[in-house]
Amino acid sequence: MVETFFDSILYVFLFFTLYLEVVFLITFFEERLKLGTEKLKEKLSYYPSVTIIVPCWNEEKTVVKTVDSLLRLNYPKNKLEIFVIDDGSTDQTWDVVQKFSKHPQIKLFRKENGGKHTAVNFGIENSEAELIGCLDADSFVDKDALHEIAAAFNEDPKMMAATPMLVVHEPKTILQKMQKTEYHMGAFLKRMLSPLDAINVTPGPFSIFRHEVFEKIGLYKKAHNTEDGEFALRMQANHMRIRNVHTAQVYTSTPNTLYKLYRQRLRWSYGTMKNTLDYRFMMFRREYGILGMITLPLSFFGVFIFLYNFSFVAFHAVKVVIEKAIEISTVGFMFAIPKASLFFINTDFMAILSYIFLGLGLVIILNGVKLAEGRVSASSGIFYFLFLYGIVAPIWFIRAVINVIFSRGTSWR
Amino acid sequence: MKHIREKIETKKYVLAFVITVMVFFGALLISNHFSETRIAEIRAVEDKISLDILSSETQFALLKESSCKAIDHSTAFSEELSSLAAKLSYMENNLGDSDAAVTNLKKYYSLLQIKDYLLTAQVNQKCGIKPLTIIYFYSNKDGECMDCRKEGYVLTKLREEFPEIRVYSFDYNLDLSAVKTMKSIQGVQNKLPALIISDEPYYGFKTAEELEKIIPQLKKLRLEHERAAKAAATATSTKK
Repeated sequence: MVETFFDSILYVFLFFTLYLEVVFLITFFEERLKLGTEKLKEKLSYYPSVTIIVPCWNEEKTVVKTVDSLLRLNYPKNKLEIFVIDDGSTDQTWDVVQKFSKHPQIKLFRKENGGKHTAVNFGIENSEAELIGCLDADSFVDKDALHEIAAAFNEDPKMMAATPMLVVHEPKTILQKMQKTEYHMGAFLKRMLSPLDAINVTPGPFSIFRHEVFEKIGLYKKAHNTEDGEFALRMQANHMRIRNVHTAQVYTSTPNTLYKLYRQRLRWSYGTMKNTLDYRFMMFRREYGILGMITLPLSFFGVFIFLYNFSFVAFHAVKVVIEKAIEISTVGFMFAIPKASLFFINTDFMAILSYIFLGLGLVIILNGVKLAEGRVSASSGIFYFLFLYGIVAPIWFIRAVINVIFSRGTSWR
Repeated sequence: MKHIREKIETKKYVLAFVITVMVFFGALLISNHFSETRIAEIRAVEDKISLDILSSETQFALLKESSCKAIDHSTAFSEELSSLAAKLSYMENNLGDSDAAVTNLKKYYSLLQIKDYLLTAQVNQKCGIKPLTIIYFYSNKDGECMDCRKEGYVLTKLREEFPEIRVYSFDYNLDLSAVKTMKSIQGVQNKLPALIISDEPYYGFKTAEELEKIIPQLKKLRLEHERAAKAAATATSTKK
């Protein structure tokens, strides 16, 4: 009885998840002709003026590389200015950036430490450019990224913000390779949410906004250490269009250890849930389109669904492991090796559904790879993602849920 | 500014819903189809075994007066029964023990085992061989027999090591008169796992070593196996 009850809940969740996968794949089918990865070769008819803000707090090791990547951007020099804003660093950041003090495109600012969003706000207030963006000091841009984004702004005057395609920079550890595939999948989903006007975050690395956005809805404000998410939701609440430009690539460094990844993801998942709660008035409201009907409910309830499915899989996995352990302890290892036979391939309803999920998941991942790298290729990251993500993600999801329930904030670092 | 946002195209989401329902029920149909194929496979094996037993019985009746060696009731037959047992228990785990088709197959299987048991006993008696049979009563009911699973592993191992052993396993709670009669003839009490070896009941979990002590022939068999393996090894090495 109890088992049937839990199984039924799982079936309902699986149905919803499958439904979402189908929605994404239909959108993919509709969008298929617009998903080319070729960069624009011709010059733009108009180059809007752009300010890129680089907020830094103790980034002495990476800030120069970040600024250099901005200087290499394929964009007219007189239309692009770079604000390096030292948010009260306690290391050598300020000294390191002095090498740019004479550069005509670069302005250096130093302020008291107040958090990343205050540094960005400081930059916005000092900018008069038509487009304003920000690039975290742990990220680097592809040289055509701004060109691609400016072209998209020219093409769609109603577009108020553009988000780039985030790619993991030089993954080395298993966790980073896992994140590479995760980002590929995220890139695909973001690109599919884009035409549905359902993007719920304008990520720190190289999201670009029209100046008027800040005039209309104000600057960044403190929001559970995920100010990017809050700002995107505020834009959405004001029906401002956010689009994803998948040809604008930004390379970002990712946490290389489990603890660092845990800290980052705890901040993200806690912040996303809290921001979603703050903007819950949009949830299930048809006037907010797919954002209200799918993205927001998913970013809040998705965590619970994930954890439920995870506990279900974990419960059964533990059961299997215990049984196998009993078998091995009873008859020894050699006799406990299962016999290979087609008869024993699992074809339960649940198993077949899992095969379908896995298949559709792979279609999504491989299309994400294609979107990011221009061609489909298998990598070890896919393997790590499929087998590792389900094991590590519950660590931060469980903690995030606990923190949301008890309203415990997270810290940046 | 509201007109900027993409409207929800109801048609698309209804289509996605229809596709999802189709995939969901498609998965259900495929899964049922595979279950049915498996049940048919088990039934076919059972039918074959039934035919084999009938053939052996007939052979036995025909050859009553002549040499007992001519009767073809080999150990390969016992292997067939044991692989069938593995498949049946797999289906029982997957479809649940309340599934009517599985229960019927299990009853059929139990009957085949009893028939094989009787035939083997008759053949052994005629030829004066000491029978090497284990009758095993277990239960799958939750909490009724914690050690039955372990005993099952031990018996499977023994059966693999010594194909000469015939293990007949019966679900203690199976609602089948023949099994009930078997229980009462052997005088089995509800203390599971229960093993009947040479008409002697043994209750509680027994390890492979304990069983080897109870059945002394196993030692001899092991020696014979080792000798045969050695002979085979030298044969292949001289060939080289």
